[in-house]
Amino acid sequence: MKMRKMSKYGMEFSMKIVFAACACVSIIAISLIAIFLFTGGLPAIFEIGIYEFFLGQRWAPGDRYPAVPAFGVLPMIVGSIYITLGALVIGVPIGLFTAIYLAYMCPHRIYVFVKPVVNLLAGIPSVVYGFFGMVVLVPMIRPFAREITGGGTGESIMAASILLGIMILPVVIGISESAIRAVPANYLEGALALGASKTRSVFCVIVPAAKSGIMAAVVLGVGRAVGETMAVNMVAGNQARMPTHLLRGVRSLTANIVMEMPYAYGLHRDALTATGVVLLLFILIINMLFVFLVRKGR
Amino acid sequence: MKKMLALLAVAGLLLFTACGDGGESTTSNPSTNNPAVAAAPTPAPAAANPAATVTPITGPIDVISRESGSGTRDAFVEILGILEDGVDRTYIEAVIQTGTGAVITAVAGNLYAIGYISLGSVRDDVRAMPINGVPATAENVQNGSYPLFRTFYLATPRNLEPLAQDFLDFIVSAEGQEIAVSRGFVAIGDNLPAFSGGGLTGTLEISGSTSMVDLMERIAAAYMELHADTRIEIHSTGSGAGITDAREGRVAFGMASRALRPAELEYVDSVTMAHDGLAVIVHNDNPIASLTTEQVRDIFMGELPRWSDTH
Repeated sequence: MKMRKMSKYGMEFSMKIVFAACACVSIIAISLIAIFLFTGGLPAIFEIGIYEFFLGQRWAPGDRYPAVPAFGVLPMIVGSIYITLGALVIGVPIGLFTAIYLAYMCPHRIYVFVKPVVNLLAGIPSVVYGFFGMVVLVPMIRPFAREITGGGTGESIMAASILLGIMILPVVIGISESAIRAVPANYLEGALALGASKTRSVFCVIVPAAKSGIMAAVVLGVGRAVGETMAVNMVAGNQARMPTHLLRGVRSLTANIVMEMPYAYGLHRDALTATGVVLLLFILIINMLFVFLVRKGR
Repeated sequence: MKKMLALLAVAGLLLFTACGDGGESTTSNPSTNNPAVAAAPTPAPAAANPAATVTPITGPIDVISRESGSGTRDAFVEILGILEDGVDRTYIEAVIQTGTGAVITAVAGNLYAIGYISLGSVRDDVRAMPINGVPATAENVQNGSYPLFRTFYLATPRNLEPLAQDFLDFIVSAEGQEIAVSRGFVAIGDNLPAFSGGGLTGTLEISGSTSMVDLMERIAAAYMELHADTRIEIHSTGSGAGITDAREGRVAFGMASRALRPAELEYVDSVTMAHDGLAVIVHNDNPIASLTTEQVRDIFMGELPRWSDTH
């Protein structure tokens, strides 16, 4: 009896350590990633030159003696920003309206069908999205690209934005729906009692009350869009130059790394690690924004 | 007050939307707005229409290239002189595809596309363009009439282990080269000695050029048939990585689809494995009969932007 009691407390204590160790895994992982990226990337940034790396518009790692390779990452930074903005333009209104519909207007019979479908959208592997974009979206955009810009395969900012817009839908819908549902029911009742129609009440009372949650949804959507690699790589055309047109190609930071890493060595490899540093900084800013918005909402 | 906020939020969203669109379209490059494009026929239906084979092809050329560091790209730009004074002058608007398969997919699905791959990888869904009137075949590479070819090299560490040396002997023997020829590649010479080694066992790891993996796998399969207890693992990593792996002793030897550079030859030796034609590929319905090497170079440098300039 005494033994069992002892082991119960021992068990309690040792399990506490196990749980704490599990909690540490994430911290250790992020620290190791940060250390790897910064030790690999920062020396390369200094070797290339801070100005040349962040603001250089020429990415030509294949150049060699007597020329020197150029590692300007600005086209990819701008490219990532463009396709992310494009994804927001497409994904946020659709996602927000879907969330409002799901939370306030949708009959239960439709809800039980739509909600799992939205969740299914989140589970589709990105390479499948990419393949869909390659065989459906890109050929659809091609005639417009040729007509309007005088060339181009259809692999473009537009194609990447539409695809990413669809890919961020589950995140935007999921988080804004719970934000909207978290608004106390008496807000809606108050608005209705004052004579506002249901749509008006939802848009003028509920949505503003849930705005920090909705902003958080948008920010998480941004995080998903910035970090997406495979799907973007397959539909964006990947030209390493400043973006020229909505219907022309673009290279994202992620695509730059995934395409060239297998062949890269020496400074080229380190420059790609440094591209990862830029990406990590992007994600850090986005996450800090998210935390800030969630705190502000409380 | 709440109403005002909501109005502001909606207005802000709309404004943001407009800004996003505006930001992207104002970056449009005026030089790409070529008025001559209006004369081009509507492209989409033509691709599927078999009658397109008799219609002369016009309109912009969609140039498909490979990523920097790819052995195929390195060889292609070097042979054609797209690499000038160490600067790779590949057309900046060229779509970059990662890997031979992706280039084939991109060209097979686009009537206006042109790309390049290893001759041994050409499949039925694309057409290899004759160069200077000479069809892209292994025979024409061997007799010297087809100008676009490169050499496959093996990067071998200085102190080669016995099994690796034995496999290397097999690759350059008559048996090994026969496999290369059967796969559409070109042998390193005539009247090669027959393979006389063997009797060794163990495991070999080889890494390198994606273009060489298929050939290496077939030669390795034949070698493993002769030596039941030997295992050869082949990793598709790209020429640069293969050379680095060989240099750092991670693999028995590396595969490189381009010549080794002086800096690399300080640490590894280079052995010729086979020759490979580079095929310039176009859509099956592309009616152009042949291109000159100058035209191919100009297309890939962006100086020949339209199909109508090629006939």
